[in-house]
Amino acid sequence: MTQQMKNIQHLLPEFERWKERYPAGFEGSLTIPCLRRIQEERGYIADSDIDELVAYLGVPRTQVDEVLGFYTMFTRTPLGTHHLQVCHNASCSLRGAEGLIRYLCGTLGIQPGETTPDGRFTLSTAECLASCGTAPMMMVNEAYHENLTPASVDALLEELAK
Amino acid sequence: MTSPYPTPELSGRKFFMNFPVTDTSHALDAYRARGGYQALAKALREQQPADVTKEVSAAGLLGHGGAAFPAGRKWSVIRPDDGEPHYVCMNADEGEPGTFKDRWLLEYVPHMPLEGLILASYAIGGRHAFIYIRGEFDLAYRRIQGAVDEAYAAGLLGENILGTGYALDVVVYRGAGSYVCGEASAMLASLEGKKGWPRNRPPRLTVKGLYQKPTVVNNVETLANVPVILALGAAEFKKTGTPKSPGTQMISISGHVERPGVYEVEYGYSWERFIYDDCGGIQGGRALKCIIPGGVSTKILDANEIKGVTLDHLSAVAAGSQLGSGGMIAVAEGTCMVRLARVIQRFYHHESCGQCTPCREGMGWMERVLDRIVRGDGRPDDIDRLYHISNANDGTTICSLGDSAGYACTAILDHYRDEFEYYIKNGRSMHDGRLAVFDPFDGAVPTPLYAGAGA
Amino acid sequence: MSADRKRGNNEPVDTGKTLDFFINGVPCTAYKGESVIQAARRAGVDIPHFCWHHDLSVPGNCRICMVEVEQDSGDPWFDIGCNMPVTAGMRVLTETDTVKKLRRETMQFITLNHPVDCGICNKAGECILQDYHYEHNGRASMSIDRKNHATKFFPLSDRIMLDNERCIMCTRCVRFTHEVSQSHALAAVHRGDHALIRPAEDANFNEDAYSDNVIDICPVGALLSRDNMDNARVWYTKATPSVCPGCERGCTINIWHRKPEWALKALDPQLNTRIERVTPLENETVNGPWICNKARDLATLLERPRATQAMVRGTAASLTEATAAAAALLAGARTAVALVSSWGSNEELAAFRDAFAGRLGATLTAYAKPDHLPQPGEIVEDAVLIKADKNPNLRGATAHFHLLPADVSAALAGADVVLVWGEGVDDGVLPMGAKVIRLDGFAHEHHARADVFIPLSIQTERSGHYTNFEGTVSPFVACFEPKAPVAHAEALFARLAGVVAVAEART
Repeated sequence: MTQQMKNIQHLLPEFERWKERYPAGFEGSLTIPCLRRIQEERGYIADSDIDELVAYLGVPRTQVDEVLGFYTMFTRTPLGTHHLQVCHNASCSLRGAEGLIRYLCGTLGIQPGETTPDGRFTLSTAECLASCGTAPMMMVNEAYHENLTPASVDALLEELAK
Repeated sequence: MTSPYPTPELSGRKFFMNFPVTDTSHALDAYRARGGYQALAKALREQQPADVTKEVSAAGLLGHGGAAFPAGRKWSVIRPDDGEPHYVCMNADEGEPGTFKDRWLLEYVPHMPLEGLILASYAIGGRHAFIYIRGEFDLAYRRIQGAVDEAYAAGLLGENILGTGYALDVVVYRGAGSYVCGEASAMLASLEGKKGWPRNRPPRLTVKGLYQKPTVVNNVETLANVPVILALGAAEFKKTGTPKSPGTQMISISGHVERPGVYEVEYGYSWERFIYDDCGGIQGGRALKCIIPGGVSTKILDANEIKGVTLDHLSAVAAGSQLGSGGMIAVAEGTCMVRLARVIQRFYHHESCGQCTPCREGMGWMERVLDRIVRGDGRPDDIDRLYHISNANDGTTICSLGDSAGYACTAILDHYRDEFEYYIKNGRSMHDGRLAVFDPFDGAVPTPLYAGAGA
Repeated sequence: MSADRKRGNNEPVDTGKTLDFFINGVPCTAYKGESVIQAARRAGVDIPHFCWHHDLSVPGNCRICMVEVEQDSGDPWFDIGCNMPVTAGMRVLTETDTVKKLRRETMQFITLNHPVDCGICNKAGECILQDYHYEHNGRASMSIDRKNHATKFFPLSDRIMLDNERCIMCTRCVRFTHEVSQSHALAAVHRGDHALIRPAEDANFNEDAYSDNVIDICPVGALLSRDNMDNARVWYTKATPSVCPGCERGCTINIWHRKPEWALKALDPQLNTRIERVTPLENETVNGPWICNKARDLATLLERPRATQAMVRGTAASLTEATAAAAALLAGARTAVALVSSWGSNEELAAFRDAFAGRLGATLTAYAKPDHLPQPGEIVEDAVLIKADKNPNLRGATAHFHLLPADVSAALAGADVVLVWGEGVDDGVLPMGAKVIRLDGFAHEHHARADVFIPLSIQTERSGHYTNFEGTVSPFVACFEPKAPVAHAEALFARLAGVVAVAEART
């Protein structure tokens, strides 16, 4: 390809290895795993990442635009260092998720959807994360934190704030 | 930081998950020590693909994803030797509120559904198989990916599995945050690297699925049962459970029970015994108000309605509901059902893909109406409105997200209309409005991390 | 257009095999593989639909085409008709109470968040949503909550405005760009009732030569032409069938112009005789339901400054005087050459041949010429509709006359009289000393230098036929009366040839 791949050049060997496990003609399938990988590194998906990925995979730009708009885990803008996603679905609500969210808002001084001014924490609500038996809980970036209490939340935030 | 799940409680007898959960019980050697992959070796060496399907059909295995469709029947649509590529996709996109048993299986016994996936692929003549897993899953992903890596290293995947000449590649495909991708056709759209828009049928996925090729989508637990069936044989397998529901169900129970968790329950077990004995009854010594049996769209059964009912498909249907995916939520007396309904509809609205008219418009409408009621601004005809939207989504949508939302809403309305009428008339809940019996954060005063941050 | 494109059905249809079934008790025939909505359409039964289009893939998202299927035993079942394969003996019902209730409910949902913009929306009067509201619902909204708000004036391109509030997410426009124009320029982003149609972020919808077709296929007023915005209410205009002269594909079109009975009296009279817009006139054999943007912009082509004054050697003359002068020149010519317009209708071309039959091959040689060549920046040819020959009837002209050779000067060398009919011939190629007669509808400054100039009517002022590149003959009908005294070429040639006396008749 003639396109300069300055953003994702270093990831291409990994992407090529992934391709080997897929049947021939499945290149389009790599859209989502590649975007996950790019976001894992950069923290968000930059516009230039998309240009390069489209050129590499040969998928229509609309496919990537639609994927980025459809799935909640992709972000086009940087988030806080620690993304706190609190489940507020049925079972979690029945075991104190609403109290947890209030507590986090009070501790961090932000509402769901917002990021602390120092860029450390972003708070979001999430739907069922399949942790119903260990509710209330939240994800911090990739990790699950379950059976939360005020003490465990305080300890966790203190650790993350370092 | 991960927290261990309670180990599955065994209600009386030892069933298929009869091993102690430790730090290493998920690994390949531990699984093999328990007899794992013997069924696969036997099938690849001694049985034809059609034999595997026959055995699974004879065992009467029903899908564990919620629809309870006979697994063998789904597989038998595909002719293994028709020269077309065929695919099996393990549906590990567990997203139904209240359901977390697939996560348990992937974290603690990943090789079991993996072995089932390889067997299913063999049965339908597949060369590639996929595991579509929740994008949010953390340990579950690492464990199943680890299991796949172990299988490759041990010659259980790749070219020439166990020297039998059968070849299979498995891709673990992580989702990216969409409940509707748990619907089989949306899952395949997502696997093609696109947005998760479900598809109309016809054609069925077993005729035109992934990249328009015949595809079988099976739930994690369904596939976990396959090596069990092949190891025991169909006849022996059918000695567990009931005639119409053979085997066991991994029940996820949460909500207001003392001991929430994942339990392997033999079909036919007493529902009341399960709730009051095994799960420790209701928090705070309260009475049980109702159970949402198997995913939030299954019809609510109140405490009276589960009397004498056993945990199996026929019995649940006779009682007026369904077992679904076994994601059970217990609600204690004194809980505001209006607020619970709102939480559930907020979820459906958030997850609607937006493709078809009744769901796209109806989900938002329902949430707006319930929001308004909960805010104290409900109108008398709001109940009719909610029924209307629910009924207008019944059987009219591309996938069952719309119907499910309708069923969830009407089930709560049918049982607790008085609570809605009260809320609308008085602008507040009939109860104290709280959803939790014990809220660990009740009364806790947060210490602001940042100076000047308010509570 | 590729053969495997999905046209109204995601599965292939075998027109060689038929099935018998019933719609509302009436026996019908379907091709094998056809859906209920396809077979119904051919049988003249209109099942309401928004998202289905007979020339695009089937998404099955609007849900208004739900039909009832009767069974011998058990309850009837209901499903969308656009994705329902016809089976032998099937009994489809489209007007039962349940079907009507389903349509009403679908209309409730579709109009739930739809802004009541009819008073200011350009689609009013030709809006499927309006029509279906009256036919299938007619009731007020059951919602008392706020509607969703979204972008109201999103410039999708220089030519098209998108109103996201009006959009019902039928995705016809998105599918069009993927399946027909292949520009892949549109996408449906976000989820649920926040889903929006948006252009692909690297795409320039301006570069899609077929972009404006999405305006036609949009069932509501979400996609509107920026050029035609707020010009005239559609019910004050009428559509006259015509043929696009932009290239030899000869797409059949509708030219919209003000209805005579709704002529404006107080404003610029030119508004009564201008082209309001151009839309496709569906044609199985030529262009299907599509046209390119050049056809949309026909006003630019056809409303260029007109030639309105006959001239003899640059001095104003009457039509009669100019015709007589031209006839005299032709009568006295020893080696006349005529360059025949490829914008001439079949009738005009035949009239030319008949009028000069006596001289053709002897004192008169006639060549068919391309009046227009591809302009810089114009797409020359593509795999969809656009053809390289930018004239509507070169085929019709070459049926009678030889094609003008590339070396025009050589072909004209030695001619003592040159008759140039139409555009595309500069003075530079004309032989020195030859007498020049020019006939043209459009103003060019070289007309004043001709020995005789006669202004002609243009396509919108007369009726006739063109023959396209495949030999398909299509009619065009007059939209307007000529504004100035111009000649109709068809009647003019007989007078130029002296077959008919110049002074005879006024037409």
